[in-house]
Amino acid sequence: MPERVDRDGTPAYRFLGVEVTRREAAFLVLGVVVLFIVPDLTTVSDSLQLSVIHQGLLFGFAAVGLNLLLRHTKLTSFGHAAFFGTGAYATAVLARYAGVQSVGLLLLGAIAAATVMAAIIGVLSLRHTGLYFALLTLAFGQLLYAIALGQSALGGSDGLPIRPGPANQPLLFGTAFSPDVYQVLTYYLTVVVILIGLFVMYRITQSPFRNALDAIGQERTRARFIGLPVRRYVWAAFVISGIYGGVAGGLFAVVRQYVRPEGTLFFLRSGDILFMAILGGFRTLVGPLIGGVVLVFLQDVGQDVTQYYEFLTGAVLLILVYGFPRGIVGSLRSGGIVNTRLNELRREPSVLSTWGRTAVQSLERKVTEALTSLRIILFGVD
Amino acid sequence: MAVTPTAALVQTLNGIQFGFILFMIASGLTVILGILDVLNLAHGELFSLGAYTAIGVFGFIIGVIGPPGGGVVGTAVFVLAVLAAVLITAAILLPVGTLFEAVFLRQIYDRDQVYQLVLTFALLLILLDVKKFIWGDSSIRTDAVYSAINTIPTSELVGLNYPTYNVFVILVGSVVVVGLFWFFERTKTGRIIRATAIDREMATAIGVSTDRVFTLVFALGAFLAGFAGAMAVPPTSATLEMGTNPLVLSFVVIVIGGLGSLRGAFVGALLVGVIRSWMITLYPPGEIAAPFAIMALILLVKPEGLFGTWGETA
Repeated sequence: MPERVDRDGTPAYRFLGVEVTRREAAFLVLGVVVLFIVPDLTTVSDSLQLSVIHQGLLFGFAAVGLNLLLRHTKLTSFGHAAFFGTGAYATAVLARYAGVQSVGLLLLGAIAAATVMAAIIGVLSLRHTGLYFALLTLAFGQLLYAIALGQSALGGSDGLPIRPGPANQPLLFGTAFSPDVYQVLTYYLTVVVILIGLFVMYRITQSPFRNALDAIGQERTRARFIGLPVRRYVWAAFVISGIYGGVAGGLFAVVRQYVRPEGTLFFLRSGDILFMAILGGFRTLVGPLIGGVVLVFLQDVGQDVTQYYEFLTGAVLLILVYGFPRGIVGSLRSGGIVNTRLNELRREPSVLSTWGRTAVQSLERKVTEALTSLRIILFGVD
Repeated sequence: MAVTPTAALVQTLNGIQFGFILFMIASGLTVILGILDVLNLAHGELFSLGAYTAIGVFGFIIGVIGPPGGGVVGTAVFVLAVLAAVLITAAILLPVGTLFEAVFLRQIYDRDQVYQLVLTFALLLILLDVKKFIWGDSSIRTDAVYSAINTIPTSELVGLNYPTYNVFVILVGSVVVVGLFWFFERTKTGRIIRATAIDREMATAIGVSTDRVFTLVFALGAFLAGFAGAMAVPPTSATLEMGTNPLVLSFVVIVIGGLGSLRGAFVGALLVGVIRSWMITLYPPGEIAAPFAIMALILLVKPEGLFGTWGETA
């Protein structure tokens, strides 16, 4: 049962190591409830589709894993689709060639494959940091993409169905369900997996391991001097984040019942996963998940509205970079930019015109600066 | 599979030709990386923007001078006109690169590197749809340049059937390589750029405007990418996703050659080009995977790349 504790004067509750204030508990319950009623919500409106939200949650879950690296060790992985794809392909191969039918076993296979893959790629790419690391992870991701594309056993560019034959569907609890029931059931499975995953990630971020990772992220040499096994810790974090990607990929394969290299391993998917983490707010725990749903939803809606939906995504990312670098969750929570601005507005509505003026001024300044540097490039300093 | 010496030679030449194109893309990318510390994900889109623009410029120039006239003089004029068109295309890309750096990137140098990645990725997506908006969904091509240049006999003189256009690319590519090395080794601007790469603070202290160098380097990268696009497009067609593959291969080239090393980029590009090309005949499924395999190998043996970091020598 939850026990009451005191956190900096405010009452908080503690359960299974998760410590929340009353407000946070309300948000937590609300979030879980929303996650569980999504299948019902999607029947209300046509623009909401279960499969879209489901896909967003899965990619977002991979982003939660990536966030462990990004947030604490300051390593930018640009190849997380490698683990997503490894999970998905492991599932497909197990189902097709080994005849595994149970979803649970398939997911275990995905986890095992992603772990091995993350361990190997981690050893090779973690010798470097910064951009070099980003480059390496990207290149390894593309290597896997190339392998999946080139091997006819993996289906080439056509991809692999999860199970051949008419009953193209893995078994849940040893039973085959009708397609729409199957979709909803796998959604609930995803929600359960995500909740467990978030819980594990929360415990990790409360552990000394996380502090060690933070220290490594701030200054590697210093971390080594105080006796941290830097390489082993970073490698462990990399493998953990890879496992998150693998689980998400395995679930993706189980849900879609079909795996394509383009949709799982391509480097743009790696980009998507990275940007989900930043869009949602990579300094937060659930941010990447929300970023995932928002980004996939945006791409899906954009595809319906305009043929230039890539432009739309690009524009959103631009606004994000310049306006809201802390991401959705980071900007919304107390102390974030949205909250601060709203409070100011409530106190003094005339502040709006000041904002407008500063915006115009800074825009003018940027344009002048740009023109000046253009002139300098072309004609020199004097 | 039996491979005749002729076929091997042709594949090698193909690889070298592709290697030169790749070098033009990767060199810009690696210099930007070495100096600005920014991985420009939109670089492939600059390349493809160059290809699209080139088709228009080629069409215009050929419209002005007409099809190649007979005789040596007519052919020479045509070749010069094609070169001029390539240069014009690359020059059109200059302001694009300048704007990228001056308007977008400059604001966020002091932020986490990941924001620069997001920014260039956003620009990649935007450029993708700008191209779609201007040139449409379907691929476009220009045959006139390729077929006209191929009528000039070169390889036939030594008894080999090989497209003259590819020879043309190799020749022009060599000139670009020599020119780039000359620029960085011998000219004052080149030395200033290298000085900035070696020690940014010291360069500022002796009066180098790093802002200016940054913009210049980015514009140079865009110029080279546009040049590569214009050279690469005549045999094939310009498609929306043509930028992806060269971009990723350029990353491989950079890792093989060493981050920011121009010499490394040259060796890496030729290596990747030739091995990829050999793979097409020897083991087709390995074509895409081979560059990454070389890269993994180099990383294991020599993690800092073949030529280490850029600096004292170009």
